[in-house]
Amino acid sequence: MKSISIKKLMVAMTATATLGTAGISYADDPIRIGGLYILSGSAATYGEFAQKGIDLAVDEINGSGGILGRQVEMIYEDTQGKASVAIQAARKLVYSEGADALVGLDSSGVAQGMVPTMPELQKPLIITHAATPDVTGKLCNSFTYRISVNVAQNMKAAALVAAETDATNWTTIGPDYAFGHQSWEFFGNYLKEINPDVNLMSETNFPRFGAEDFTPFIDRVMDSDAEGVLISVWGGDLVNFVRQANTRGFFEKDLEVMFTVGAATEVLTALGEEMPEGVHLSTRYWYEAYDNDINERFVKAYLDAYGNPPSYNAEGAYAAMYAYKQAMEAAGSTEGPAVAKALSGMSMEAPNGTVTFRKGDNQAMVSPNWGVSGPMHPEHGIRTLNNLQIFDGEKVARTVEETGCKL
Amino acid sequence: MSGIGAALLNSLDIGLLLFIIAVGLNIVFGVLNIINFAHGALYMLGAYLAFTLINIAGMPFWAALILAPIGVAILAVIIDRVLLRFIYSRDVADSLLLTFAILLIINESVRMIWGSGIHVVQPPDLLSGSVQLLGSSVATYSLFVIVIGLLLLAGLWYLFNRTRVGRIMRAAALDRDMAEALCINTRLVVTGVFAFGAWLAAVGGVMAAPMRALDPGMGDKIIIESFIVVVIGGLGSFPGALLGAIILGLIHGFGGRYLPEVNLLLPFVGMALVLLFKPNGMMGKGANA
Repeated sequence: MKSISIKKLMVAMTATATLGTAGISYADDPIRIGGLYILSGSAATYGEFAQKGIDLAVDEINGSGGILGRQVEMIYEDTQGKASVAIQAARKLVYSEGADALVGLDSSGVAQGMVPTMPELQKPLIITHAATPDVTGKLCNSFTYRISVNVAQNMKAAALVAAETDATNWTTIGPDYAFGHQSWEFFGNYLKEINPDVNLMSETNFPRFGAEDFTPFIDRVMDSDAEGVLISVWGGDLVNFVRQANTRGFFEKDLEVMFTVGAATEVLTALGEEMPEGVHLSTRYWYEAYDNDINERFVKAYLDAYGNPPSYNAEGAYAAMYAYKQAMEAAGSTEGPAVAKALSGMSMEAPNGTVTFRKGDNQAMVSPNWGVSGPMHPEHGIRTLNNLQIFDGEKVARTVEETGCKL
Repeated sequence: MSGIGAALLNSLDIGLLLFIIAVGLNIVFGVLNIINFAHGALYMLGAYLAFTLINIAGMPFWAALILAPIGVAILAVIIDRVLLRFIYSRDVADSLLLTFAILLIINESVRMIWGSGIHVVQPPDLLSGSVQLLGSSVATYSLFVIVIGLLLLAGLWYLFNRTRVGRIMRAAALDRDMAEALCINTRLVVTGVFAFGAWLAAVGGVMAAPMRALDPGMGDKIIIESFIVVVIGGLGSFPGALLGAIILGLIHGFGGRYLPEVNLLLPFVGMALVLLFKPNGMMGKGANA
């Protein structure tokens, strides 16, 4: 009996010893980065875009020697668009899979739930899609960064576009959750600031996310005094919305129509010519907006690999991998706190120009893109954007004080 | 008043599409005593098959309307023979688990076969555009949905009340052992009814394809709506499915137009009220119907 207990003790000791060394990485081991995206259900297409962008970046990085001489390996987990699932997945990635850093998050709701748990994991997270201002605002922390445009930045740009039009009566149609409501709130506040004469109508429209039939809301706006309408419906809902609006003659009315996520390539691809000409479309990254070598290389590589132009979500995820490369090399290590520290205030070159993570709130100063839908692209089968405006990321951002972030 | 006419037609088009889908769910429950979670997935399969036949194989919409539901019904026969037949004699909870698993399998298969992107199907030329009706412009395709919905309603009523097949189905629903004793091949009835329910779901999917964007989550969206219809109308009841679907259609059509602030809440308020005062649904088993 005695020998067995000693054996057990030995096993236990060995196990403990192994646990202790799990944190130490050897030069030959790959650097593991965990990706947290929606990979199933209605919004799975967003996770897939992110994976495509990341795959390109990882191939390029590994092809040119990796990071700190080590190869990069991606491990993905499905968040299912739920905060609880994402939190669990992040723990699994960090504690069981040994992820050195995390990228991801497609949904504002997931981001709001997960970001507060990051300091506990002691690993950096770069958000590549979720747009709620809160995660680089009142919920900010020193491990959470965002490389994509947030709602506040995009709505400041939207207000600048709206102020240029003749419309004074404005209303909104947006999904009935944080994104739709925050979009309208920030848009309204900024527009009122620029032009105090505008009228923000009390008749607003917030259909259920995934409502499928938007006809009642379309009719309601058409029968109202609205001259301008901000539409933050997105994804498959937006495809439904535009098609139903077409049959109602919505776009023939004398309305200034602004789609806050309208220039997303997946929506434009699905709609083709059904997306009308002459409406304001925005996206967080438009592939033809940037004239630099990195963008040229990225768009070409993406088109070659996948046959269609990159969406904003692919670009954000692609750039995030290079952000980690630069930060880890600057820190000379893959230790979570050191990499997070290196990201703070870091500037990097990305497809959408020079990107800087602002020290005060860790939000990247990136540019929202707005344009007006034009003729079909001869090769890509989607609408082109005319009168393209690339807003200065710094100028459309809230001040650090306004964000409510205290780092 | 033009707004009311438009809202009414819109309600009917939402409601009758829901009826086509929910009635299949109800028939399957009535005869097989299983709550088919995979019903929404079968609806989605109908839509995706229509997409393949129309956009990829280049067939006309009408051919897809015939072929896609038949394809889904054949799949349903396989599902029934390979999986479901083992659980008919078990508790309802087992059928919930199994059909939920089937739902997950179909959802993921759709994503693997057709990808996660958003697809659209064009309505046939004959039905594209809009017409002036009740003082407002209405999509021609919406009217088509209403007409098909009413035709199916009449057809189903005739089937259940005037044909031998319908009477056999009702007999099997009432008392399967007794039906068996009367030399009715209940195994055939069970398989046939499950395939018929799937056929109805797929017809709904093909009908929905030209007006709803296709994505791998579309089945999950419709199954929730269908359950609300079934709870309001009554589980297992044919007129209940119609009543529930029309009520939900009206809630969406008028609620979004005139009460947008509470429009999210309305279907659930309706459901709660029905459960409080008519726990079996307005026309459910045990209710006065």
